[in-house]
Amino acid sequence: MAPVRTVAAGRAAMAPPLPEVGEVGEVGRRAPVRGQRQSALLRLRGEISPALRLALAGAGVISLLGLWQLMATVWASEGFAVPTIGATVAALQELWRSGDLSADLSASSQRIAIGYAASFAIGAAIGVAVGSFRSVEAFVEPQLGFLRYIPATALTPLLLIWLGIDEAPKVALILLGTVFYNALMVGDVVRSVPGPLINAAYTLGAGRWTVLRRVVLPHSWPGMLDVARINLAAAWLMLVVAELLAANDGLAFRIIRAQRFRRIDRMFALLLVFGLIGAASDLFLRWMRNRTSPWSRP
Amino acid sequence: MDAQPDLAVVEAMNTTGLVVRNLVKTYRIGRRGTVTALDGIDLDVPNGSLVSIVGVSGCGKSTLLAIAGGLETATSGTVEIDGARIVGPGPDRGMVFQSYSLYPWKTVRENVAFGLECAGWPRAERDDRVAELLGVTGLSSFASLLPRELSGGMRQRVAIARALAPGPDVLLLDEPFGALDAQTKRAMQEFLLSVWHRTATTILLVTHDVEEAVYLSQRVYVLAARPGRVRSAIDLPFGRDRGPLVRRDPRFLDLRDEIEDLLTTPALAEEVAS
Repeated sequence: MAPVRTVAAGRAAMAPPLPEVGEVGEVGRRAPVRGQRQSALLRLRGEISPALRLALAGAGVISLLGLWQLMATVWASEGFAVPTIGATVAALQELWRSGDLSADLSASSQRIAIGYAASFAIGAAIGVAVGSFRSVEAFVEPQLGFLRYIPATALTPLLLIWLGIDEAPKVALILLGTVFYNALMVGDVVRSVPGPLINAAYTLGAGRWTVLRRVVLPHSWPGMLDVARINLAAAWLMLVVAELLAANDGLAFRIIRAQRFRRIDRMFALLLVFGLIGAASDLFLRWMRNRTSPWSRP
Repeated sequence: MDAQPDLAVVEAMNTTGLVVRNLVKTYRIGRRGTVTALDGIDLDVPNGSLVSIVGVSGCGKSTLLAIAGGLETATSGTVEIDGARIVGPGPDRGMVFQSYSLYPWKTVRENVAFGLECAGWPRAERDDRVAELLGVTGLSSFASLLPRELSGGMRQRVAIARALAPGPDVLLLDEPFGALDAQTKRAMQEFLLSVWHRTATTILLVTHDVEEAVYLSQRVYVLAARPGRVRSAIDLPFGRDRGPLVRRDPRFLDLRDEIEDLLTTPALAEEVAS
């Protein structure tokens, strides 16, 4: 114990004397502080309370609606017609009652469901192979690098010639417009499975198939759902292009119809539907991710 | 350093165990360049012994372990266990890595059971074996937790339990306690000794912590870097049943300093050696 005390005493002797209690904060002088105070709101990556988060989210929605209402009432003119929120909701109800909206919803959703399911299945299969085998990666990467830069929308005329004007070209466009992104992004997800997880499985006696099924896929699953969620937006983009060019039903077709009759309120109603579907599917896929892979929740 | 009777006797009695002969590993770098990571390594790890490999980073000690585990292939030379040459990974050699090797979606119990499932153990026997291992490793009350709910030390316990589950002949540990704080590391070293005593598994430990190597092992191989080669093999005089008091043994301190010098002043050490 003795030598320790000596060392401590030595250090104390070298350090500047500590201020006496009461020396700081005397009358007329502000207590000195060091460092810069940071507000939680403006600090980069600063944490905010759940209540504040909810309040800010609510304020965001309200300000967007406010801006819309402002445009409809103050800035709208003859040439720049903007329906009010009330008029848009009324148009939405009208579309719903006529039965058009549900028919269009089911037509569009069906195209998305078939086209995007195929796209994700093919893309995930390619991505898992690319991310797992260097050989497949070497073979496929240059093809994907070239093909994904061909805008899928530029294929529309070709698809109409090859596949007619029925459902096939629409589904094909959704597939072609998203499959390369799904493949590349799933490839990245699979590549990021930590090496030790795979090596540990091998040393525990797992064969390649077991490693793929029991290690690579479970670890990649939440990332794959994120990829599905992100690229779903591109699928809707492709759907709209397909329906604008040739269709007899569907949400985008209904927008074209509304344009012909200058029913701007209906156009807004349909845009609202697009936004709501997108937000709902986003929430659903996030929920799925957290439900199926609680371990990966941040 | 004289070979101590302890391990030498064991070696004379049975010539089996993990045997590395003239192991060479070269990597191709860029178009023409090659780097020799390991240059003619010879090692002997007798059955039932605990042997360490120490070396500075870049001496190829992890590569050596990966080759023994069958995860990498040697450029030339052989690694054999009981006369059988290693050509790939298998459950006869359990491996533990420094970090990130538990399955984050599996509970502790499921992680430990993984190797048994791969080997096709029936459900009941599997459950028994897992329960036994969780008991040995002091993890019974954590069986239903996910890895992320555990501390670093506990995670490595699970990794060791998982590697032990299929009943490997050899346990290969690649800096298993390298990422742990000093106190946890000491506790884990005691833990490893108790596991070694209870299971009588042959253990080959790679570490850069000289004190750890001297405290745990019966023999220490000191590797020199660039290219990786065995500079020195030192048999330690402490028996199997060593306790924390060994750390204060003057011989312990001398051996630790001697190996430390071999690592930190390579040129000087080489001169002294010759």
